[in-house]
Amino acid sequence: METMVMEPEVEENVEAEEVREWKPSPIETIHPEFVDADAIRLFREPEWRLRLTIEGDRSYTRVKVVRAAPLSEPDRYICFLDVKDEAICMVKDLSDLRGEYHELVRQELEARYLTAYVSRVVSLRNEYGVSYWEVETDRGRREFLAKNVAENAQWLGERRLFILDVDGNRFEFTDLDKLDKQSLAYIDVVL
Amino acid sequence: MASPFLETVPDDVARKIEDANVADSDVIVRVEGDLSQSHTYGSEWLVVTSEQVLVIPEDGANGTQQAAISELRDVRVDDLVGGGVVEFERTVGSPVQIGFSQSLRPKFAEIAESVKAMTKGESLALPTEVDETRCPTCSRPLPEKNGVCAVCVKKWDTFQRILKYVLKYRGDAAITAAFTILATLLSLAPPKITQHIIDDVLTPKSGFEKLAWFVGALALVRVVMWIGDIGTRYFSRRLGFRAIADLREDLYEQFQVLPLRFYDRRRIGALISRMTNDSDRLEIFMAFDMPFILSNGLTFFGILGVLFWTNWELALLICIPIPPIIYAGSRIWARMMRFWNSWGAKWSRLYSQLNESINGIRVVKAFAQEDRESDRFDENNVAVRDVSVIGERNWFVFFTVTNFLMSCGVFLVWYFGGKQVLEEELTLGELMLFVSYLWMMYQPLRWFGDFYNFMMRAFAGAKRIFEVIDHDPEPFDNPNAVSIPSIEGRITFENAHFGYDPGKPVLKGAKFDVAPGEMIGLVGKSGAGKSTLINLICRFYDPDRGAVLVDGHDMRDVDLRDLRSQIGMVHQEPFLFDGTVAENIAYGKQNATMDEVIRASMAAEAHEFIVKKPDGYDMRVGERGNRLSGGEKQRLSIARAILHDPRILILDEATSSLDTPTERKIQRAIGRLVEGRTTFAIAHRLSTLRSASRLVVVDEGRVAEVGTHEELMDRQGIFYRLVKTQQETTAVMGVAQ
Repeated sequence: METMVMEPEVEENVEAEEVREWKPSPIETIHPEFVDADAIRLFREPEWRLRLTIEGDRSYTRVKVVRAAPLSEPDRYICFLDVKDEAICMVKDLSDLRGEYHELVRQELEARYLTAYVSRVVSLRNEYGVSYWEVETDRGRREFLAKNVAENAQWLGERRLFILDVDGNRFEFTDLDKLDKQSLAYIDVVL
Repeated sequence: MASPFLETVPDDVARKIEDANVADSDVIVRVEGDLSQSHTYGSEWLVVTSEQVLVIPEDGANGTQQAAISELRDVRVDDLVGGGVVEFERTVGSPVQIGFSQSLRPKFAEIAESVKAMTKGESLALPTEVDETRCPTCSRPLPEKNGVCAVCVKKWDTFQRILKYVLKYRGDAAITAAFTILATLLSLAPPKITQHIIDDVLTPKSGFEKLAWFVGALALVRVVMWIGDIGTRYFSRRLGFRAIADLREDLYEQFQVLPLRFYDRRRIGALISRMTNDSDRLEIFMAFDMPFILSNGLTFFGILGVLFWTNWELALLICIPIPPIIYAGSRIWARMMRFWNSWGAKWSRLYSQLNESINGIRVVKAFAQEDRESDRFDENNVAVRDVSVIGERNWFVFFTVTNFLMSCGVFLVWYFGGKQVLEEELTLGELMLFVSYLWMMYQPLRWFGDFYNFMMRAFAGAKRIFEVIDHDPEPFDNPNAVSIPSIEGRITFENAHFGYDPGKPVLKGAKFDVAPGEMIGLVGKSGAGKSTLINLICRFYDPDRGAVLVDGHDMRDVDLRDLRSQIGMVHQEPFLFDGTVAENIAYGKQNATMDEVIRASMAAEAHEFIVKKPDGYDMRVGERGNRLSGGEKQRLSIARAILHDPRILILDEATSSLDTPTERKIQRAIGRLVEGRTTFAIAHRLSTLRSASRLVVVDEGRVAEVGTHEELMDRQGIFYRLVKTQQETTAVMGVAQ
């Protein structure tokens, strides 16, 4: 019943120019409706659920916020998914959203993406292609294990490194140059 | 056995459990999560009793969350990126949550599923065993689930098992040892003879005849050494290759009898690598390293003995450069290994890019990306070039440094030994003996630093192989199994529950009964559980709960070989082995005569196309049958099933993606095949299931509807809707039905 409201018949002419200018990305075409970022309202209602309302359209409960390109564009192309994991809409940049929602979205993203940012390598030993790491991260101290780091580590930039451990946990070194000497020496051994 | 879901809690948490008035005996689940509520690393405990769920933070933190099972509305796993949250959702109020990192996902998925079952009034059913993710000995994380801990490979045990394979060829082993010892001892002789030439012939200038004798002896020793060397190499390699071939055979036989579940949890590539890389490593160790260690060890200690016996002061001096040589050797080796790794990685990148771009050459050309592919190649090529240059430089450094260290020993000998010669404490011949022994002794030292590594790598490989060999095979030899040499064909599903991964059930209580000789069409959306039903009928897997019966016996009690030999399958993409057409048809019945093969292929409407081929039944089908068309492969696999003459037949999308005339032929062939057998057919094109005696509609892991085509159409339920949708789609696509 509610879906019937979704055709923005009246507004079509008014928005036509803007729509033409805007090129849809593949993600957006899943749900073809173009949603103006200004029309997005976000609430925590109840406290533990995120609710999204598109002004003049409809509301979605239990909304998930995900990044379309979590590694290369963490703050852009933010997608909202409904309870069945289907795309509701996407905003091209976090800053397109109204200011009061930035923090809300950021919290949601932080809770969803459990990447740990490594600040120090406490110890690292390498045994037959398996490396045992002990690191300090923004989430606390953690031990993990990675196979063939030299082959499996992903370089996200000159000095930005991403490692997936054997279980699928994520670790990122945002800038190798900011690490202390000891940590760097450890990393040099495996890479 | 203690449940793996009852972990030992720290005192602080135990106290909090007590405070919540939970008696120890009521606790069914007590496990540690590794993410705090704020998603930092920290312990939280999940406690489940038959009445309630508790989440308790550790380290004196407050805030135990608590919920009664009766007030739970749903239990869900919220998948995060790199972990997840189990959410116990209440009818009223905020949910109880516990977070976990990816490492603990299997454990929490199991628990979530079981607690969910509890909320529906079912009893809690947790597995009694879980995959090992940490080494039971040193509690370090394991590189693979249930895998081998690289740190505590039990070296001695593994060595003994390797030795068992070697000792099967005692004769070869003894000869190898004898030849090695002979060759090594003889290699000590030439310097000794040279010493006599200098001291007894050249210095006193005594007789030409003596000189000739010594030179003759020198030549003889060389010849015998040479023969010894050939012998060592031949026998040691033969021994190594034989032993490793036995090991490989054991491994391959094990691969055949391992249950499918074993394969589900592992990457095929990793398994094949056990067959190839790990056994290669072991082969190199047995055929090359072991004799090498033996001969070099003998040489080293033999020479050291002779030198100390000749002149202990000088011998002590010689020992000075030994530690630095070993040290430098192992240091540089470690670096070399890293370079080899990186060299290998760069090569494999170059190789895979080449492979990719040549395989995808049509796409490259269609998108006019030739230049980009060339650039990518250049980039990778340059990387290989650069790393090769660096590697070569390292080699060079390695040899220069160790050579220099070795010459230091020689300097010392010339200086102090020369002095002793001048003082006439040492003869010139003895000095020469020292110098030549020195080089012989230092030579193997360069490699000593890496022996241990080499050995450990081979042992780790061996351990991985033994791990597969030790895995439980399918229960082929169950002595209590009921033998059913001739199955009637009644199949009964009794409330069967099953999931490939813990926490992700595919079948949620399937119930239906099939009479012998019935043809059952399995219908449902993809992912509904149709193929899983088939997997249970073949007993590729056992149900987690409930049972599947064949002729009234629980499958688990039936002789597996009896069961499988009476099941036949025709797949959507039939797997053919590289062999002739006739061999493939007779795959299930090895002693089939040509008469039988031809009769079967006639029944399968395959005879016609086979005889049109130049080589007829002797035509090689190529790898996976790639020289045949889809319809031809299909008919071959039907012929294979007909010849196999199974009591239970499975048709998995057997007629999809074929043109109409071919399909008609295959339908006819299948019609003949189905007669008198219990048949299960899966088909997406619902119209092909018209000939089925009954249809079973599977929806979300349960049997939703059962009945004939007409009955189900009349009922206007799921099946009716599926048929309508399909008709619409076909109409839209403009294909005449």
